[in-house]
Amino acid sequence: MSTFPERSLLKESLSVVTILAFFQMVGQFFWTRANKSAVAQLTMSKIIKYHKIIGYIVVMVLLIHPFLLVLPRLFESGVAPVDAFVTIITTLHRGVVLGLIAWSLMLALAVMSLVRKRLPMQYKTWRVVHGMLAMVFAIIAAWHVINLGRHSTLVMSLFISMLTGGGVLFLLKTYMLKKKKTSEA
Amino acid sequence: MSIEHIKGCIGCGICVQTCPTDVLRQDVKTKKAFIKYPADCQICHLCRMYCPVDAITISPEKSIPVVVSWG
Amino acid sequence: MKSSQPKPDMSRRKFMALAGGTAGLAAMAAMGLSPEQGECSPNIPAIDVDKMTYAENEADVLVIGGGMAGLFAAVKAHDAGSKVMLVSKGRLGASGQTPFAKGIFAFDSSSEKMTLDEFVATVTRSALGTNNQVYTRQMAEHSLARINELREWGFFESPLYNKNFTKPIKERNIALKERIVITHLIKENGSVAGAAGFSQDEEKILIFKAKSVILCTGAGGFKPNGFPICDLTHDGTVMAYNIGAKVTGKEWNDGHPGRAKNAAACFDGWHGMFERKPGITGVEVHHDLGVDLNYKVYATGNAVKMGPPGAGGREVVAGGPYVPEEFKRRNGPPQGEKGPRGGRPPEREGGAPPPGMGEEPVGGSSAGMAIHKSEGLVPINDKCESNIPGLYAAGDALGSYMAGAIYTQIGSSLAGSAVQGAVAGQSASEYCRGVEMPAISEAKMDEVREEILAPLKRESGYSPAWVTQTLQGIMIPNFIIYIKKERLLKAALAYVEELREHHLPMLRAADLHELRLAFETANMIISAEMKLKASLMRTESRCSHFRLDYPEMDTENWNAWINIYKGSDGSMQFEKQPFDSWPT
Repeated sequence: MSTFPERSLLKESLSVVTILAFFQMVGQFFWTRANKSAVAQLTMSKIIKYHKIIGYIVVMVLLIHPFLLVLPRLFESGVAPVDAFVTIITTLHRGVVLGLIAWSLMLALAVMSLVRKRLPMQYKTWRVVHGMLAMVFAIIAAWHVINLGRHSTLVMSLFISMLTGGGVLFLLKTYMLKKKKTSEA
Repeated sequence: MSIEHIKGCIGCGICVQTCPTDVLRQDVKTKKAFIKYPADCQICHLCRMYCPVDAITISPEKSIPVVVSWG
Repeated sequence: MKSSQPKPDMSRRKFMALAGGTAGLAAMAAMGLSPEQGECSPNIPAIDVDKMTYAENEADVLVIGGGMAGLFAAVKAHDAGSKVMLVSKGRLGASGQTPFAKGIFAFDSSSEKMTLDEFVATVTRSALGTNNQVYTRQMAEHSLARINELREWGFFESPLYNKNFTKPIKERNIALKERIVITHLIKENGSVAGAAGFSQDEEKILIFKAKSVILCTGAGGFKPNGFPICDLTHDGTVMAYNIGAKVTGKEWNDGHPGRAKNAAACFDGWHGMFERKPGITGVEVHHDLGVDLNYKVYATGNAVKMGPPGAGGREVVAGGPYVPEEFKRRNGPPQGEKGPRGGRPPEREGGAPPPGMGEEPVGGSSAGMAIHKSEGLVPINDKCESNIPGLYAAGDALGSYMAGAIYTQIGSSLAGSAVQGAVAGQSASEYCRGVEMPAISEAKMDEVREEILAPLKRESGYSPAWVTQTLQGIMIPNFIIYIKKERLLKAALAYVEELREHHLPMLRAADLHELRLAFETANMIISAEMKLKASLMRTESRCSHFRLDYPEMDTENWNAWINIYKGSDGSMQFEKQPFDSWPT
């Protein structure tokens, strides 16, 4: 029988939501044309539609993730949520800094996607920029998660590494192969 | 164990400063807090309450035998 | 079958020694002490003693302790024009008993039915004359002003005090050093000249030169289980005693019980009180013993349920500690037997019993601690000044007898610390104006440094944790400090004197944490000796001191406090100081 107190339902729920959002964010790599076998039965417009819907939802969750961290403090005694938040973002720990960078990159990803049509770049360039940004984001975010995550055990860390690595490889494969094709032609 | 585990530590060091009985220390390399002197924990929960990310879980059991006046 | 028989070549004496040793081991095992810990074993240092650095600091007023008293001492000494430095073993607002005290008394003459004179008289009746009326009055008189300052700093808005304690310190730019263990007070030419200690985070010895030192170091116990006072080990009292200060109040006892299940878990035992925001209490004078519950268990066995303090259990047991008729709790609301009596938040008064009440209790959760503000340095006047020029004390470090030898006014503990801290800060600052910055001789510094490093340098010795456990084993069980009798007190004393003579000089430390434990252990041993000797000396029963062999109050011989000081030969000396007088 475990004698120590369990975390509250609210806290565990927030953790689960955040973890799922992170995995889905990495999963975005796999919801593209890069992963032909998975999206074979979908039309291009549908792929993009799903990619967008899922993307915006999980980005929303992950953007408020730093605030969700301190939210339960509103309902319990202890350090005030605002003070806790200030402590978090002013701690120059590697994991925190990675998190802050990942958060900013994610914000950039989301904002750029929203205003894509107004951006002065061609679709092909946009795709490369989006992909590269996503790649850098995923690596930094995964590093942040492995370093700081409350639930990041060894197995979890391996899984995250594999998933992220796989996604990045997928993306690189797509670009590399494309480039090869173009150079051949 | 008194402090059961610390998960999700961001290395701010507040718990180390806060602990009245100097139970916690920061790892030199990872900068994360760890339970260095569990026998001295007085199970007061101050570290838990001060932790900005609520990383500390504490059990009511002391890690060493407890001396009482009568029981 | 034969294995337990002595071999033929083994002498009877050898066998007896072995058997005795085995019995001893069994006893230790029963107490949960592993023999390896206790052996006088080699010291394997984790730090390099030769790499310890030294730093000197200077201030007009050095405040030691980061609780309620220390906060006000630092603020008021600064406001009176002194250069102040605040040093704490822990973190400001998170060390000592302050973080766990949730009720603070305010005497608001505009709303109280009682006048200040009547309040002092009521406390005096409950305290059976043991209180110092000057300090009782001072506490009530200034309480509201201190509370108003606390409110300004945001004290009542959070269950955690670090942020609101830091506010006035930061605003005033007062130098703050945390996690520094002060081990020595330094006296030069008869006056206090500073203090010395070490950092728990860096391998560093710190010397503090100061014109005046204010001890806000709290009281202490034997690192008991169930009360969050394991960082309080009478450090201030013993350091001051070592340089010649008079200390008092060692025979009194806080008799709080704990709960049988997970007795050491103070957070759980106090039913979440640590998580409450502080509140204000009005006049409510009691005669809260705790000792009466101990007597009831002593007389009848432990079948008691936790009830209101002062009432002990449900049924009445003949004899035992005397509670004045006026202050007997009969039909009052059930109150937490647990938690600092000063710390009961107002919302609980008159409310339903706190959750978990009625649990089976165990004794000694605050073992080794006296009643708030009854033990500590002897004040020579109403300015929190000790008999050593320049040395002041406030709060639980000052034996002001503000509440008497029994806890009287709810919430006065926290209020008293605030008030006395302010008074001490102000007076220390005034004192500083007339004196030069003292010089500390090289010889003195070397001596202190060597003493600080001694446990680290010791090649072998006793582990402080083991010596502390041994001390707990002597002082906590068997009602020694609750239901006192000469024979048992003397037996314990013999053991404690052995610890002082033989173990104290051989405490070892492998790192800075253990170095802290070594000094804490030494201080607890000295305090235990004081407690036992003062308890033997006081041949009467009154308030929280109960002698089974002298159960009556003796107003003829014992309308006096006991002061303890170090004689010129280093021995522990005792004197009586009549109630309502200042020391001579």
